[in-house]
Amino acid sequence: LQQLHKTLPPFQPIIPVSLLPYLAFILLTLTFGLAFYFSTLPKGTVKESTVAILASVLGGFGTVAMFCTVGVYV
Amino acid sequence: MVMHRYWLHLSTVVLSLALPSWASFENTAVVRSIDLGGSLVYTTTTYNVKALEDGSNVYVFALTEREQETTNWMEARVKGHSVPLSLENHGLSHEYVLDLTLLLWYIVAEVITYSTTYYYSVALPKALDTNQTANLVLETVQTHATYPFPPEAAQDDRQALKYDTDLFVLSPYKTLVQRTKFKTVGFPILSYTEPKGVAFTTGSIATKSNTGSAVTYGPFHDLPPSSNPAFLEENQQKISIHYEFGFPMLSVKTLRRVAEISHWGANLNIQDEIHLYNAGPKLKGQFSRLEHQAQAYQRRPAPHVLTELALQLPAGIHSAYYYDTIGNVSTSHLRVVPSASQGGLPGRNSILELRPRYPLLGGWNYSFTLGWDSPLEDYAGWDAEKGRYVASVPIMTLFGGSVVEDAEVKVILPEASIDVEVSAPFSPSSFSSSTHTTYLDTTGRPAVVFKYKNLTDKHTGVIYIAYKVPLSAHLKKPTAVGIALFGAFFVAFLWKRVDLRLEK
Repeated sequence: LQQLHKTLPPFQPIIPVSLLPYLAFILLTLTFGLAFYFSTLPKGTVKESTVAILASVLGGFGTVAMFCTVGVYV
Repeated sequence: MVMHRYWLHLSTVVLSLALPSWASFENTAVVRSIDLGGSLVYTTTTYNVKALEDGSNVYVFALTEREQETTNWMEARVKGHSVPLSLENHGLSHEYVLDLTLLLWYIVAEVITYSTTYYYSVALPKALDTNQTANLVLETVQTHATYPFPPEAAQDDRQALKYDTDLFVLSPYKTLVQRTKFKTVGFPILSYTEPKGVAFTTGSIATKSNTGSAVTYGPFHDLPPSSNPAFLEENQQKISIHYEFGFPMLSVKTLRRVAEISHWGANLNIQDEIHLYNAGPKLKGQFSRLEHQAQAYQRRPAPHVLTELALQLPAGIHSAYYYDTIGNVSTSHLRVVPSASQGGLPGRNSILELRPRYPLLGGWNYSFTLGWDSPLEDYAGWDAEKGRYVASVPIMTLFGGSVVEDAEVKVILPEASIDVEVSAPFSPSSFSSSTHTTYLDTTGRPAVVFKYKNLTDKHTGVIYIAYKVPLSAHLKKPTAVGIALFGAFFVAFLWKRVDLRLEK
């Protein structure tokens, strides 16, 4: 394995690390904005579900990016 | 009582295919050079060998029991070549000596003396014909071979160590001339054993050098094959060298290293939990802070007191932290060197200068945790052929001139990694795998644990790990957080539809 390791190209993350702070900020503000919007919606399953799902997905990625920005490196 | 002693030399060496006859080589000269350090002793033995038979190509080294116990690392080479020869360990020899004692003419007491020699063999790269010569070099590192003597010292006393070894270098072949030389790193040798009644020599046995920091024993002429028990009983003697040593003798009692690989943050975090022990002479009396400050002010530090430590850490690191059981220790200074991927020169190390919370005197312990983050680009690569990542993790931080008694290296791979393959530079005393759960984990991360004993600065190797991370595993974290957030939205969703009014 040692010889193989010397010849391999270096590791590239899927999302470059320098972008992570900005990504975290944008995604989390969108998440909080959508959560606020969700709280103003009247009862109507379809619209509520889509907003909830969208907010959750954005929040998921935003939280992981936030963890990496502050140095926890999950 | 009349006693007659009959020596019966029953040299029944079990001749396996690897051990040749003892008549195939002759040592024309054997020179052993011992460099006396603090915790570590470096031995270099040069054998000038002459072949007595055609086609001789397996040479056997012999180690005494004392050497075998303390030797930690051994390498054999042909002098001038840098590629080491592979050593084969044959263990304890099977020779023994039968000593028949006749008491009162009819009571026979048998005493069997078993051999205490250990054999190692090397295959020479080129077989030698009769009267052809070769020079072989055997290098070893010995740990726990020196001890502080006197075992207690006051705060302002000098530090002196004692090293015990055997007078003769053993060899299963005849030796024409042999000598042993002990050297310190410039510190004076206080005393050395002057052996009495030693055969094979004329004139003085031990001579001290002009500088006072080296002693030579020998030369000894015309030794017969010396690794059999008969020779050992008659001639082998213990010699001790008592010398001064001017640096603190450090030993690392335990080292727990945790290396965590993160793919989301492209980061390798290495954390060392170190238990440091000063193996020098124990403190006699109380520790006087006044005396300590006076020594620092007058610039005459005691040789066995550790106040500062400079560690070499990898290049390109950032966010280093150093804390102990009380809390963060701020008396440290990290000088970072950019790594190769950051545009720095290769082969350079960052330096961390630590001042422990209190000075370490002889016999004192100090435990602390040291960690840092480094970019994963410096350590891991992507193998496109097999679709896997290969990461390298250094085994230990080098504490110069000291021995790590118990080391454990735990490498934590990203969540749900599969197809893990490891390659360690030298075999660990135990290897296991477990699951480690940390922030934002659902199924936990696979961790591989290597345990080692007695590592020295010859053991600074790198562990290579290959693993696969499928995309589904990589996305586990955001989806886990997303599901948790959706749970909160779901509760709000239900909350709107539940009527908790008491009256309509």
